[in-house]
Amino acid sequence: MVTYEVLQLIVFPGALFAICLAFLYEWVDRKLFARVQGRYGPLYTGPAGIMQPVADFLKLLSKEDIVPRACDANLFFAVPVMYATLPLATLFMMPIAAPEALIAFDGDLIFILFAFGMMTLIIFLAGWSSASRFSAIGSVRSALQMLSYEIPLGLVLVCPAIAAKSLSVSGIVQWQAANATLGAALQPIGLAVTMVCLLAELELVPFDIPEAETEIVAGWRTEFTGWRLALFRLGRDLEVLLVAALVASLYLGGAQPLWLIPATAMFVVKTAAVVMVFSFVRALFARLRIDQMISGMWKYLLPIAALQVVLVQIGVGV
Amino acid sequence: MVVNWARSGSPWLIHFNTGGCNGCDIEFVAAVTPVYDVERFGIKLQGSPRHADILAATGPVTSQIAQSLRRVYDQMPSPKFVVALGTCAVSGAPFRNCYSIQGGIDSVIPVDVYVPGCPPRPEAMIDGIAKLLQRIRGAKK
Repeated sequence: MVTYEVLQLIVFPGALFAICLAFLYEWVDRKLFARVQGRYGPLYTGPAGIMQPVADFLKLLSKEDIVPRACDANLFFAVPVMYATLPLATLFMMPIAAPEALIAFDGDLIFILFAFGMMTLIIFLAGWSSASRFSAIGSVRSALQMLSYEIPLGLVLVCPAIAAKSLSVSGIVQWQAANATLGAALQPIGLAVTMVCLLAELELVPFDIPEAETEIVAGWRTEFTGWRLALFRLGRDLEVLLVAALVASLYLGGAQPLWLIPATAMFVVKTAAVVMVFSFVRALFARLRIDQMISGMWKYLLPIAALQVVLVQIGVGV
Repeated sequence: MVVNWARSGSPWLIHFNTGGCNGCDIEFVAAVTPVYDVERFGIKLQGSPRHADILAATGPVTSQIAQSLRRVYDQMPSPKFVVALGTCAVSGAPFRNCYSIQGGIDSVIPVDVYVPGCPPRPEAMIDGIAKLLQRIRGAKK
């Protein structure tokens, strides 16, 4: 029985499945991004370029590992490891193969919010430890960005919890299954605000201010080479999967079987849809300035998020 | 084997102008537009030399930039490759014996692929990089 549980954690629906799905979604994202721009995207690495993220990962693993003399060596080692493992650990709290997650407890939604905050803190430490001016600017921008999107995100993620009367992601999925409803149908404003905030969390294009290529080289990742960069890219892919899983679970019903279709397939379809929305937005928009982003988040998104909380509270009844 | 496959499957470029007239640079920028779609080969343009595998250098090396070129090359993690784009980058061309010119890219750093032309067409540049990728894939088979 214990071996079965360990196998669940390591293979399916645990670490290995999550990593494969994360790589697959990077390919989906790059391919769709290319198609929107009228290109083919990755084509020759594996069938239709599906192995492209794997090739990138292996190549980076095989490259030289450079540690700049000025950097904080211990932190420089620890940061990529933390960045890759934190979203992987948080993914265990997402219901993937069944409406019940591998690790489900009352309050894991709060833990997930905490993990999002931690990711930004790790990014800040990454920029800090590499002692480069580009990294420093990138990490400060990342921290500034967090100050603006974290609050509307926190507000709006409370709404499904209020409606379902559960602070657990699995509980919210089960509540949606039990009432045959979707979070997206009940809280469309909440869904929109969540998507915008999570775009900022992932530092995708309208909000890729911390790694703006045209201004600050590669932002906080500038100094990282070899396996460190590989782990950062893996961590980013896992974070995309985590975010897609969160949206799918809270608003789209998550991993619940539909008629003959198993729960895992439903989960994959829903998360893929969220990833595709993200890559469409990435292809359609240009980068905002940091001041536009912060004032927009505080002036417009925060009141909208508060309005959603009020509406849910009215709907549930005091 | 797998490593060679991965290296030839995901070459990330960094572009560096060592003092050219911008003609090759415009053609290079044209080569990474959607028309030619180099992402088919897994090529991505990187901002940081720390992330790049291939240094795409254009222009003759002036005395002023030689040190910077050397530094950018040293900042790249090995295995690294250099592509000299344009006749100036290959040999220094009309500026060869000029007082301020050191010569082609290979007067400062080792070069793997030479793409002549003034400027070379985007097809020629992609062909040069594709030949380099073929060599990486064939290495130690």
